[in-house]
Amino acid sequence: MPVIVKRWYQQMSLCLSSIVLAACGQVQLPSGLVYCSEGNPESFNPQLVTSGTTIDATSHQIYSRLVNYSQEKAEITPGLATSWQVSDDGLSYVFTLREHVSFHKTRHFTPARDFNADDVLFSFNRIIDPLHPYHLVSRTGYPFFQSIGFADLIGYIEKVNDYQVIFHLTRKDASFLSNLATDFAVVLSAEYGYQLLAQGTPEDIDYYAVGTGPFQLSQYVKNEYIRFKKNPVYWGPTVEIDQLVFDITPRSTARIAKLITGDCSVSALPKAGELAVLDQHKDIIIDAKPGLNVAFWAFNTQKPPLDDVRVRRALAHAIDKNNILDVVYNDTAVEATGVLPPASWAYSKNLSPNEYNPEKAKVLLHQAGVSNLSINVWAMPVARIYNPSALKTAELIQADLARIGVKLNIISYDWSVFTQKLASSNYDSVLIGWNADNSDPDNFFTPLLSCAALASNNNRSRWCNKDFEHLLTQAQSVSTQPERKAFYQSAEAIISDQVPLVTIAHAKKVVLKKSNITAMQIRPYGGISFAKTTQAIEGTE
Amino acid sequence: MPRIKIYQEDHIASPMWRMWQTFSANPFAVIGLWAVIFLLILTIFAPFIAPYSAEMQDQQVLLLPPSWDPAGTVEHFLGTDDLGRDIFSRILHGVQLTFGMSLLIVAASLIFGFVIGSLSGMMHGIKSSVLSHLLDALLSIPSLLMAILVVAVMGPGLNNVFWGVGIAMVPQFVRAIHLAVHEELQKEYVTAAKLDGANSLQVFWYVIMPNVWDVVIIQVTMAISAAILDIAALGFLNLGAQAPSPEWGAMVAQGLDNLLLAPWTVTIPGVAILFTVLSVNLVGDGLRSALAPIRN
Amino acid sequence: MWRYLFSRITLFMATSLVMVAVLFMASGQFPVSKAYSLSGVQYPTLEQQQQIDQDYQLHDNQLLQFTAYLRQRLSGNFGISSNSQQEVLEELEAVLPASFELSLFSGFIAVFFGVPIGVLAALGNNKALQRSILAITLTGYSIPVFWLGLTLSMWFGVNLGWLPISGQINLLYEIEPVTGFMLVDTLLSDSSYRIPAFHDALLHLILPAVTLAVLPFTLVVRITRQAILNVMNQTYIRAAEARGLHTAKILLRHVLPNALIPVIKSIGLMLGSFASYGIVVEVIFSWPGVGSWLVSGIYQRDYTVIQAGILAVSLLIIFLSILIDLLHTAINPMSRKELYASN
Repeated sequence: MPVIVKRWYQQMSLCLSSIVLAACGQVQLPSGLVYCSEGNPESFNPQLVTSGTTIDATSHQIYSRLVNYSQEKAEITPGLATSWQVSDDGLSYVFTLREHVSFHKTRHFTPARDFNADDVLFSFNRIIDPLHPYHLVSRTGYPFFQSIGFADLIGYIEKVNDYQVIFHLTRKDASFLSNLATDFAVVLSAEYGYQLLAQGTPEDIDYYAVGTGPFQLSQYVKNEYIRFKKNPVYWGPTVEIDQLVFDITPRSTARIAKLITGDCSVSALPKAGELAVLDQHKDIIIDAKPGLNVAFWAFNTQKPPLDDVRVRRALAHAIDKNNILDVVYNDTAVEATGVLPPASWAYSKNLSPNEYNPEKAKVLLHQAGVSNLSINVWAMPVARIYNPSALKTAELIQADLARIGVKLNIISYDWSVFTQKLASSNYDSVLIGWNADNSDPDNFFTPLLSCAALASNNNRSRWCNKDFEHLLTQAQSVSTQPERKAFYQSAEAIISDQVPLVTIAHAKKVVLKKSNITAMQIRPYGGISFAKTTQAIEGTE
Repeated sequence: MPRIKIYQEDHIASPMWRMWQTFSANPFAVIGLWAVIFLLILTIFAPFIAPYSAEMQDQQVLLLPPSWDPAGTVEHFLGTDDLGRDIFSRILHGVQLTFGMSLLIVAASLIFGFVIGSLSGMMHGIKSSVLSHLLDALLSIPSLLMAILVVAVMGPGLNNVFWGVGIAMVPQFVRAIHLAVHEELQKEYVTAAKLDGANSLQVFWYVIMPNVWDVVIIQVTMAISAAILDIAALGFLNLGAQAPSPEWGAMVAQGLDNLLLAPWTVTIPGVAILFTVLSVNLVGDGLRSALAPIRN
Repeated sequence: MWRYLFSRITLFMATSLVMVAVLFMASGQFPVSKAYSLSGVQYPTLEQQQQIDQDYQLHDNQLLQFTAYLRQRLSGNFGISSNSQQEVLEELEAVLPASFELSLFSGFIAVFFGVPIGVLAALGNNKALQRSILAITLTGYSIPVFWLGLTLSMWFGVNLGWLPISGQINLLYEIEPVTGFMLVDTLLSDSSYRIPAFHDALLHLILPAVTLAVLPFTLVVRITRQAILNVMNQTYIRAAEARGLHTAKILLRHVLPNALIPVIKSIGLMLGSFASYGIVVEVIFSWPGVGSWLVSGIYQRDYTVIQAGILAVSLLIIFLSILIDLLHTAINPMSRKELYASN
């Protein structure tokens, strides 16, 4: 009997192996780079969001900005604007624009003209002018710009000629150029905008994106991948990579596994604990730099019982940050005593941090007259630069709070839903964080805790404090660093005292890459950029 | 005083006794039975046996390997997870959630399924046909999909797993019992009972019931193993038991983050599920083959 | 036979209708407004709102709403995905072939290895071999599929580095979807890397397909074994033996065709759990099929996607099980006889 079974296998395996053998020719992958990213972008226009995932996928890939910030030189460098002058009163900025810059030619759009002043006006008026045809196309508003009060800051934008524009400011702002250099201040195509408007599909501008960046968007499949093609007529240095693919892999272990199996060449946001695994793999390089970021636990200060500062203080005293640093960050982060990270020039050691002291917490709760407190915490489902695992952090905090008799319920949604629901402000507290967009210290205060940020829902604490607000305005109006630093230190003191949020850690920014990837730099702030990355050609495997 | 046997008589064992004899002759089935009894005991006493509570975190011992590893310690027999929780204790607490829950689900759906199934089995004609089509439709929704639907309505959580898996399981019981009752109803001895003047209730209770319980038993063992796998799968997909819960599937999901570094956080709950389902299946298999000669 | 066919088709219609009704009732219970859960438009403009009200007759009674719902779904309007703003039907069409590819391939593996091993388990003389085959199948039947998938990907993917563990193909290959079956599409594409792409797609398929094949494989082995044992006791086999036919010939001509009939039937019964397993396997191996699409729909609270996914999968199961039922009747003279007897 087994004879025929054997014969069956012989024949079938012969047939099967011939298929496989035919396939085993040379294995030469098409040229390109795969980046394992951590989630779906919410849209393809960074103006509309603050989430790092979207920034990574769009800002430095598809778009360019008027000006950039150079980490090496620590100064603002030219982008689409080749030069700029600031008037003596600091209220008007004249930008001279770059000529012969072409927008992407995609399936949906073929540019008829080069980039000019109209595009700049279109892009920024969309944000500040409520009557602009595209202003209301964004359902989420323009959170970053709203949080820094951009519309109030800018009086109007004037087109002098095709290659010169003037931004007229209503007040002096030392951080204006820095804000233009952020990942959010990208330039869209006005021509494309009006074409879509004529077609009656204006919302496509944020999905089938067109920009002037080093890569153009080719295809996006939700939960799967984003495919970019090299922009053959990029205005900057020649792009070395023919094809860039974002492989959307939410699980950190899966990203590392893919890096090991060679499915991707660069991977975002590894969990600190997993780095030990990579010791055995010599072809994988761990790139780490101190980042300009902060992870925090924000309290909804408009919702009882967290509107009581004593309760907030009690909670701040109840959590053991060292423990979180140990378990979640595996010591790749430093404890945060204030909002500003040590890498910022305005940083100085916080003198009155809310130390870990459960006994004091109990007393404070007792004073506040609260017992059997039960609150919920929203924890991000994905790893972020500032917090590799908010869920783990939440579980640790849960155990800490249990010690002072507070019950904590952990709530989590998928990332895109999470950010959406967060805007509806029906939470008690949320574990989130902030990754700076530029090196200006203001970026840690105004977008996070100002009253303007409250209106744009970016103020997760829903907190608005007059003294604090006053300090921020003063810090913006002076321009020397020591003066500004003093103001920001006082602002830090108010945060420590009022506890709208408990800062947890400043994490290192870590990127994993295969050793044949070179010239890829990690910036301590903002999104990832592949424009200058090169890849050594691998031999046949 | 022993009874005096006057006549040489053959003792005819009851079907139950014969079944037990066949069953116990099968060593695998007996091993399975012992394992199931062991699990039942654990379900009740696990919280008292477990050395630590399920949620207790000890930051001194993060990701400690199991005790047989040179780096492991006896205090944490199966090692610890990334929050320093003792895996052995969590597995013990998880018995209640995964195994205990499956028993609960099966018991609940058995009661429902039994009532509906026997009613519909006794019915004739159009009503019966409509019902069986309805059941066919419900049966075609895999339990996981049904659970997904329930989760979409009620949100994730262990309670909703009860409803999701339970709702998916009821039609299976209904169908099995419906068919069995229907089949018995055609047989001649039932007709004989009817001719004797028994009413439907009597026919059902005294005539048919004793002959369908074997179907019920087989269905129950199959349902338990299916329910365990479903609960665990939902926990794994993060649709069932949520994060700190020591439900085994959820434990695998929580361990997933450390798969590369600490594979035991995934392996151990997985082995626990395998062990439980395997023992239930061994018993089920033994019962089926023991019942086969009786049923034919 | 025609009458039987007709009755099966009505059965299909009736069950599908019940299925749609269940979904309709569930979608009324989702924790969002009904217009949103039916259409997927979260912030409708006034016009859109009117259009939705009109399409789904939201101001009428439940019965009319149900017929409107049925009409929309039958005409292919599944609403849009609130997450990606794309037509749900389009997304569904994109993910279905990948699931088919995976299931067909693992079904093939299950039968290709399962039937011969089942034969071996039934006919082999080696007791130890038989026992171990049975033990393995029972274990395979009890193993939690997500754990198996993880363990396999850990070993063959990460530790040994033999096989890729996620996705359908290396994303650098840009394959134009024609049939949706990656293996076919790679061969159909006119790019220079056609063959390496096919090879890559095949490698990506192996681990998920093997993981998914474990359940049907164990069932096929057990049922084949049982069926062969039954058939071998039949008189016609003994007659064939008595006439001195070659054993191989008996097996191929007389035993297998008769033994495979119950195998077909059991495949029909297994479809539901196969689908459940498929969903989990797709999630583990990030296989871009309907299962992972559905699960991410749940995570993203994308109610139109949930409805479409569940409807598609359960309709497929209903359809296939009825098809298998028909097939079973068509090739099995015994059940045809019963059929006529009962009519």
